Formats: sequence, structure tokens, C-alpha cells
Amino acid sequence: MIKVEKLTKRYGATTAVQELSFEVPKGEVVGFLGPNGAGKTTTMRIITGSLGATEGRVTLDGQDVFENPRQVKRRIGYLPEVPPLYTDMKVRDYVRFAARLKGVDDIKGAAEATIDRVGLTPVAHRIIDHLSKGFRQRCGVAQALVHNPDVLILDEPYSGLDPAQRVEIRDLLRELAQEERTVILSTHVLADIEAMCERVVIINKGKMVGQGPISELTKVLGGRTIHLSVARPEGLLDILRVMPGVLSVTPGEAGAISLFTEPGDIREQVAAAAVPHGLLEFSGRQSLEDIFLHLTKTAEA
Amino acid sequence: MGNILAIAKRELRNYFATPVGWLSLCGYILLTGFFFSIFLGFYSEQAATMGYDPYGPAEMNVDEYLVSPFFGNANIILLFLCPALTMRLFSEDRKAKSLELLLTSPISTTEIVLGKYLGALGFVLLLFLGTLHYPALLFWMGDPDPGIMASCYLSWTMMTACFMAVGLMASSFTENQMVAMILAFGILLMFWLLGWAEGSLGSTGFQGNLKDVLSFASLVNRTEDMQKGLIHTKDLVYFGSFVAFFLFVTHQRVEAYRWR
Repeated sequence: MIKVEKLTKRYGATTAVQELSFEVPKGEVVGFLGPNGAGKTTTMRIITGSLGATEGRVTLDGQDVFENPRQVKRRIGYLPEVPPLYTDMKVRDYVRFAARLKGVDDIKGAAEATIDRVGLTPVAHRIIDHLSKGFRQRCGVAQALVHNPDVLILDEPYSGLDPAQRVEIRDLLRELAQEERTVILSTHVLADIEAMCERVVIINKGKMVGQGPISELTKVLGGRTIHLSVARPEGLLDILRVMPGVLSVTPGEAGAISLFTEPGDIREQVAAAAVPHGLLEFSGRQSLEDIFLHLTKTAEA
Repeated sequence: MGNILAIAKRELRNYFATPVGWLSLCGYILLTGFFFSIFLGFYSEQAATMGYDPYGPAEMNVDEYLVSPFFGNANIILLFLCPALTMRLFSEDRKAKSLELLLTSPISTTEIVLGKYLGALGFVLLLFLGTLHYPALLFWMGDPDPGIMASCYLSWTMMTACFMAVGLMASSFTENQMVAMILAFGILLMFWLLGWAEGSLGSTGFQGNLKDVLSFASLVNRTEDMQKGLIHTKDLVYFGSFVAFFLFVTHQRVEAYRWR
């Protein structure tokens, strides 16, 4: 549905995005992952048509964002990292204004439905400037949603929210993602991606460093962190340190040991070595965090 | 068209959502009132002494001695007011990142520029409504020419249209409102002073040629005839081209946001 082809963006001498290509099929929720300054926002702004690409192109169902901006923009809802709010307006007026700009036919109806949908009804008559950060973020979501787009692009939707607000916004976004929408979500909070996304695209310094379904990425790429605890750690540390495939061993308190491994599954060997020392706990689940760290480090090296 | 009006309406309402609009309204009415009372006092004094003054005017009418000078001199309020009203149009929008809403909506850059321009221009036209009691007073007390009065309001409108176009352009060049205001004021002052420079030049040789050029470029000189009731097509073309040029530069500048 969304196709990004060989996208390159240069700001003067610095290259923000370099030859980035990926596709997002219809209805899929994709996590866009990368450290700060990796080019996530730049890529998202190009997809939404607010920024021009230096080279390459972005198409939505075959329509080029820059050749048919009106048609494409009508189908995309975008929530930038800083929500684009006119803070001197009342919530209801703002949502109506957004609806009008997005080319909605029934402006009042769409605005009311959206206000209700994102939970802004209790503050609809208030001036945005006087609202809490969580409600402002909802206004941002309302603006992205008011024209009922099939594509939602969310840039760091949780930044600057307190834990309670995060949960609220996360539940809201999760509901929206389930409504047959194609969603691209950028964040550096990996737990949010794991909870919502089927697939991830990982970029670092403007380049793609990995993409695919989370389950597949965990199989193919990256090392693994194994946490175990044993009753008698004496001697085990030395065995683990020389075991092939083990990169580092960190002893913790009361017989706890964490080790980071190279790509490849050596859980069985580690467990076998630990059993004679009285293995109490063992966990070797590979998390997105490990893959992320591994991929961004490899790309840097 | 709908999008232009929506943006214009939002800009217009913004002036009244902050103290800026109300302060401008009060200030404008106060200052024009000040100008009006000065010229009215001057006029009535001259009229009273006319018969006894051998050097005074042989005949006086309210249009030439009160209406024209009042409208001509009150121009200067617009010189200061317009940059203050336009400085935030693009600067604030970019700084607060709210421009992203406009840039990612299915609307054209032309619609954004025209919407903001018309909204701001509309606000000043509303201010003009606050000066209607001066003509009303004159019509009640005396017998001024309604055509000249209308022509004077047209001159204000033309001048404001030019000032607001310069201000809008200045605002599109910076995220800093203060810089936008100073830039707009500087450009406007330059156009204002062209008229003065022209007055100090001789009419022959190089000075004469320079005088012709300055007189052609000067904004203020073109309002003078209009404030006497003379509407030249060439002046209307000049104002139209002036506005179109600065709006075009603004348009190019806003387009450039997408490329840097």
C-alpha cells in the first residue's frame, strides 16, 4: 500500500535519509524504530508530503505523494511529534477547522464523531492552551483522524506524556490500529512497538538496518540476553566466559548471571553447563531491545 | 475557495482571541481620533479667520481642507500598525509547529498564502469600520463629497493591501516575530521615504530622471491623487502589481519550506 523507494534526503551537506526502501501492506501496523536523529521524522514528513525528498519516491497505492498531493493527503492522517495545534482555539473549533482543511464533506458531523472517538467531549468547549498534555495529544490525534484516513502516521505519540497519559493514548491508538488502518508508528520505546506492531523497520543514521516481522527478526538477527540464577555460582562464571558464542558475562547478586550471546541459539549449552551448579531460574527470551541494540551497534561499527 | 476562507476566518478570529486585536482596535480609533480632531480644529480656525486674512485661501471646502489631509496624514498609523499585525502570520505558525497541519492537508500553498493574507487584511478593514463616525459627523454637520470620501477609504484599503503583503512576506522568512516586524517595517519605511526623497530633487537632468523613477516607485505618492478623489487606472495597476509581487515571493518562500 505504502511504498518507499530509494528515498534520500539531504539537508545541505548532511544526509538525513539514505536510499531507504520499504513497503507497508494494507492494514498492517508497522513500528518505525531507531535512535534519535536516525531519520524517522524526516522519513515520516516525506511520506505525508510536508517535506520534499532529494531522491527517490513515496507512493500510496501507486499514487506519488508529490505528483498527486491532494488525493494522497486526503487519505493520510499525520500526528507529528509536536502536535500541530492552534492553542488559541477551542477544541471543537480546532477539530472543525482541521476537518474543513482535510476536505471532509460533513464538517460538523465528522468533528463531533472524532471528538467523541478520541475522548475530548468533556473539554470540547475549552481553549486548547488550557488543556493538559494528554488532552492536547488527543487533539493532535483528532486532527489526524477527522477525515477518517486509511493511513495513520504517528511520530513519537507518547513523548512527554506521564505514565497514566501514556496508557490512555496507547489504548486509544491500539483501538485505532485495529480498525483496518495502515499505521506507521515511530518510537524509541520498544515496549510500545512490541505491544502494537506486527512488523518493524529499524533505521540508524538514515539507513535501513533491519526489517521484518518481530518474530522473524528475533530468529535471524541479533544476539540474545540470557538471565539465569544458580545456587552455587562458584566456577560457573569461568565456564561461561570461555563458552563459544558467549560475548559477555555479567554476574549479579545472589547467584544471578546475565550473559549476552552472539547470533545463534546456545541456550541448551548454557543450561547444560548451569545444571550441575544448581540451576534455579533460566530465561532466554529474545527481546526487541536486544535486536535493536545489536543492529544499531553493528551499523555503527 | 472554501479553504482560503477557512484559513482567513481562523486568522481573523485569532486577532480577537488575543489582546492584540482589541488593543489595535482601541489604539487605531484613538490615534485616528487624535488626527481628526487636530485637522478639524485647524479647519475651523482657518474657516473662522478666512475673511480677515489677506494671505489665507480665497475659498475653502471641507474636502480639500479637512478630508484629504486627514486621510493622508493618518496613513502613517498604518505604517506602524501593519507590521505588528502581520509579524506572527507565518513566524508563529512555524515556531509552534502548527504550520504542519496546513502543509499536510490537501490544500495548495496558494490557498495558505491567500488565506492568511485575506484574514489579516480583513482585520484592518474591520478597523476602518471604527473610523466611520468621522465621516458621519461631517455629513451631519456639513456637506462633504461622498465620492471623495469613498475614494479616500479606497486609498487606505490599497495602502493597507500593500503593507500587509510586505508584512506577510517578512513573516514567511523567519521564525522570530520581532525580526519579521523589523524587516517589514524597514521595507515599508523605505517605500515611504522614496516619496520624500523625490520631493527634494530638481526636475531637470539626472535629478529629473531619478525623480521620475522615485515618483513611480513611491507608494505614498500614489495615494495622494486618490485622496483628492482621483482614481487612476495606472495607480490601481501599481497597487495590484505590488501586492501580487510580494504574495508571489511569499508563495515561493512557503514552497521552499518543503525543500529544506
